[in-house]
This record gives sequence, C-alpha cells and structure tokens, in this order.
Amino acid sequence: MNPFDYSKAVTDFWTAQGQALMKAQEQAGKALAEGMQAVAFGKFPMMPDMPADLSAGAADLAHASKSVMELWSAATTICGNLATTVPAIAGGNAIVEATFRKMVDPRSWLGGTGEMDDVLGRMAEGPRFADLWEAERRYAGVLQAWMNLRRRGLEHNAVVLQAWLQAGRRFTEQLAARAGADARGLDAKSALALWTETANRQLLETQRSEPFLQTQAAMIRATTELRMAQQELVEHFGKQYGFPTRTELDDVHRTVTELRRELRAMRREQQAPVPATLPAASSEPLRIQRPARRPSAKQRETPK
Amino acid sequence: MTQIGTTPATVLSDAAKLGTKMLTGGQLLHALRDADVQIATTPKDLVWSQDKVSLFHYRPLAQKRVRVPVLICYGLVGRWTMTDLQEDRSLVRNLLNLGLDLYVVDWGNPSRADRYLTLDDYIMGYLDGCVAEIAKRAGVPKVNLLGVCEGGVFTTAFAALEPERVNTLTLTITPIDFHADTVEDRLGHGFINIWTRSLSPEDVDRLIDANGNLPGEFMGAIFNQMSPMRSLLKYNLDLLEIVDDEQRLMNWLRMEKWISDRPDHPGEAAKQWMKDLYQQNKLVRNEWELDGRRVDLGNIRMPVLNVYAKDDHIIPPATSRALAPKVGTSDYTELALSGGHIGVFVGARSQALFAPAVASFVEQHDLAAA
Repeated sequence: MNPFDYSKAVTDFWTAQGQALMKAQEQAGKALAEGMQAVAFGKFPMMPDMPADLSAGAADLAHASKSVMELWSAATTICGNLATTVPAIAGGNAIVEATFRKMVDPRSWLGGTGEMDDVLGRMAEGPRFADLWEAERRYAGVLQAWMNLRRRGLEHNAVVLQAWLQAGRRFTEQLAARAGADARGLDAKSALALWTETANRQLLETQRSEPFLQTQAAMIRATTELRMAQQELVEHFGKQYGFPTRTELDDVHRTVTELRRELRAMRREQQAPVPATLPAASSEPLRIQRPARRPSAKQRETPK
Repeated sequence: MTQIGTTPATVLSDAAKLGTKMLTGGQLLHALRDADVQIATTPKDLVWSQDKVSLFHYRPLAQKRVRVPVLICYGLVGRWTMTDLQEDRSLVRNLLNLGLDLYVVDWGNPSRADRYLTLDDYIMGYLDGCVAEIAKRAGVPKVNLLGVCEGGVFTTAFAALEPERVNTLTLTITPIDFHADTVEDRLGHGFINIWTRSLSPEDVDRLIDANGNLPGEFMGAIFNQMSPMRSLLKYNLDLLEIVDDEQRLMNWLRMEKWISDRPDHPGEAAKQWMKDLYQQNKLVRNEWELDGRRVDLGNIRMPVLNVYAKDDHIIPPATSRALAPKVGTSDYTELALSGGHIGVFVGARSQALFAPAVASFVEQHDLAAA
C-alpha cells in the first residue's frame, strides 16, 4: 500500500468521526429543541438518543464527506423552520424567543452558548418569589448546567481533535521520511506500530498542556454542577412526596460514621496499658501498650 | 516511493492465520466462564473485622522463619489482590514460601454510606486495629508493615505516629513527595500529579460532594488517559494477539479481573488524598495531621526498605525516593526494580528479586524485635 494511502485512510477516519460528532450534535440539538417545544406545550421532554454509530465503521468511510454535508444541510433546514415557528409559539415572550433563536442556530451547536447561558442564568438565578416557580427554577438550573457541560465538552473535544490532527501530520512526515531512507518498505504491522507510537506521544504531550488540563477541569466542573442541579430538582419533588432525599441520607451516614468513630475511641480507652515485652518460652499473647487517645477535634468535626 | 510490503500471497497467508487464530480464540472464550478466572487464591482465614474492613491471615506454605508477622496494606485505589494475582505471579505466595507469617487487610467495598470516612479513620482506626490484632495474636509488641502505593502512605503515617509498634517498614511504589514528578519530567509519567494540581481545591470538594465518593470508574478513566493508545488497542489488537494462547489469555483475563475491581474511594478520605497530599504535599513537609497529630517522618526510626519501579508512570521514582532524607533512621535501603507500577508485582524479573529482598530484610531484623 502506498504510504500516502495511509494518510488518506487516517483522514477518512477523522472525517467519519467528524460525521459521528455532527450527527450527535444534530440529534442533541434536535432533541433539545423538541424538548423545549414540549415544555412550552406542558409536556415532558424525551431524553436524546445517543447515535449508535459514534465509532464509524469502514463502510461509512467512503460516504463520510457527503453524509456530513447532507446532515449539515438537513440540520440547517430543520433549524430554519424552527426559527420561524418558535417565535409564534413563544407568544411574544422575548426571553423564550431569544433562547429558541439561539438554540436552533447550528453554529451554536459547535461553538459556544454564551447568550443561552445568560438567558438560562437569568431564569435560574434571577430574583426569587416566595411561592412561585420553584420547580421551574430548578428545571432551568438543570438545563443551564446541561448546556454548560455540552459547551465545555466541545471545547475539550476541540483540544483533543487538534492533537489527533497533529499526530496525523507527524505520522505522514515520518512515513515520507522513511520513504526516502528505507527501500524495503514498511509492512502493515510496522506502520501500525509507528502510528500508535506517534499518536501516543502526541496525546501524552497534549495531556500535559495547559489547554487540555484547563478544558478538562472545566468539563469536570460542569459535570459536577449538572449532577448537583439534577439532585436539587429530584430532592424538590422527593420532599413533596415524602421520599427520603440524598441530603437526608447523607445526614444519617455522617451520624453513623461519627458514632462509630466515637465507639472506636471508647474501646481504645478501655484497653488498659500494659508494658510490652516478648514472651519467653510461652506463646501467651501479650496485651500491647498503646496510648489511649481521645477523638481529636478534627475527628469529631466531620467535614460537611 | 516506499510501498507497504504486502503481496497477494502474504495477504492470503495472513488472512488464513488470522482466521485460525480467531476461531481458536473464539472457542476458548466461548468455553470460559467468569468463575474460571480466579485471582487471589492463596488460602487464608478471616481473623478480624470491623465495619467493612477485614483482616486475613494466610496459611503457611513453608516452615516459619520469622517471629514477627508482616501486614500487607494496600490503598483504597484498587485492591490488594494484585499482590496475589496468580500462582506464578504472586508476591504473597513467594513471601509465604520464604517462611514469612503474612496478613493482609481488605478495606471492603465502600459505598455512599462510607463517604464521611476519613484517612484518619482508615489509618488511626482500622489499620491501628489490624496492627493491634496481629500483635495480640502473635504475642509480639511490634509488627512488620508492607505498604503498597496509597497503602504505603497509610503505613508510613502509622509508622511515624506509632513507631513503637512497627518493627520494620517496607514501602512499595509509594508516593512521599507528591510534587517530585517534576524532577525527571518524563513524558507520560506523573500524569495524576499534574492532573490533580490542575484542579482547584474547590473543584475537588464539588466533585466529591456531587458523587459522594470518588468513583472507581472515574479513577479508571484517569488511569486510561495515562496510556491513551494502549487503552484504545487493548480490546482489539492486544486481545487478538493472545486470544488463541490459553495460558496468555488466562493471564490477560486475570489482570482484567483485577482492573475491573475498582472500589469507590470514600469521599472525605479522597478529599484528603487529593488536597492534603497531591495538591498541598503535606506529607513530605511534615505538615500532615491525622487524628489531631502531626505526621513527622523523622519519627520513622525503624528499619525501612523502600521499593520502587524504575519505569513507574503512576508513582514516578523521585516521588518515592524523597523519603530517604526524611526518615529518622540510618537503616534505610532502596530497591529499584525494573518495570512499571504493576510490573513490580507481576513481572517475571521482579518475581525473582522482590520477595527474596523483602523476606531477607524482614528476617534480618526479626531478632531486633526480640
């Protein structure tokens, strides 16, 4: 095989992965739009389906570029339709209208969602009324956290994708260099070993880079925020129906841990200190001298 | 232009070989059940337990040559079963064959109910209880501690706080200076150190608060990042390479079984592990506090054997070797083994060196206890 065919195969592979990413974006965006629309009509949104072919097979390679264009075109059409229908649904509500317009813009699926976050932020964090919109506020909090996680995920993926592209460049350069140096050629196993080593090195270098570490930390932060928002929403309904909440269980667990800690300390204090010596001939067990300790302030005060 | 060296004949031949390999491998995998893949099979008895913690005593495999027992203490990341993976790759079995009296502590499977357990609880509570029980059973005032990785930090701290109860301290692939990953700065080494420092203390708190514990799966994902391409090729090319060789396949599956056994790390203990140690590096600075007491490494006055792996990408050697100038004993020995973090326990070369070195060290200091 021509070494440059390898480069083409690698490029095709990325294209296929890009296709999968685009497809995922499209489905996620579509589901979000449908979800918001459903909420607007007082229905529960459906969870977005994960695309089954995130790892594209060999048969998809040849059609990858075409498929991407078709998907993009389809996504744009869907979004164009939504952008014109949604304002009518929103009924003059500027915030909702702005949210929908931004949400259905395909560019926002790949770029940031700053304005969207602002809108959701106002919904989630705006001034509170004593008895109004508590559940809605929590829903908005979950949605805001989900949007943030999606954005952070894309930012991180961009860094990783850049590393793969760089690895591909390096691999191609090395193949070209070998083409001049080694007339016997490179068998498939050696080529794979070279690709593995090249990509591994590039990925390891990337993982130590500031952009990778920062975007990954941001993604982890966003994940935890989403989880907390979901928990808050679930607890809101749990309380209403008398179900025990995570917070209540945590309180119980903290209490049990503290009680066990105190019990251990009391048992230790009960052990009378006896000078320790080794037995002579007999193997009679000894009682070991250990200082009796009281639970420290740090121990008693379990972190919240 | 260089061509990839393939011809129709070699392609056909390779395809035939591959077909045979996959057929054989398929038959092997089809016949295997999870129960056929056993690890940590060396006979042992439960002798003490508290909450979820269990202390096991191994049955002897040879004439006992030492009076003071050895306690193997693994950490909360992973499980001690690595030390007894299979008969011909077992630190436990090797030590027993060399006449040591051996115990191991299992921390159990921490659940969300254990999220408030701290390292104080594990070290000055459970480990303390294990040491007391072993000493009582053996009728000796001190025991030998053999700590592994995070468990090495546990035993180090215990030895510093309770030096009169520790006869010898053997550390294996144990981090002491959590910022010494920068000493060698080898690509792919010390990623966990770098990654943890990339988080803020508040990130760690939120991560734990959101999940309750540090999920084992999460740590598994971080470990996989340390060898990215290996992780990608593991279940296709690596498996394909050995799938038709029953012995190698079984070795591979045993390792998989160990890797898949990833207990969650109790939440508050994980906060201490990540913030106090990985981020703030309190241990080597003698600033770490447990049970309200400062862990001063200078109090480690018993003999110390510090074993590290020369190519350990998880615990870079410099992070372990930082202990040397800190201990309060001149009886300090380092043993550098070839291989990586896990290779110390399962590598063919280390099998011949590791256990004999530990047994010799323990035996040599056995009389000192008497």
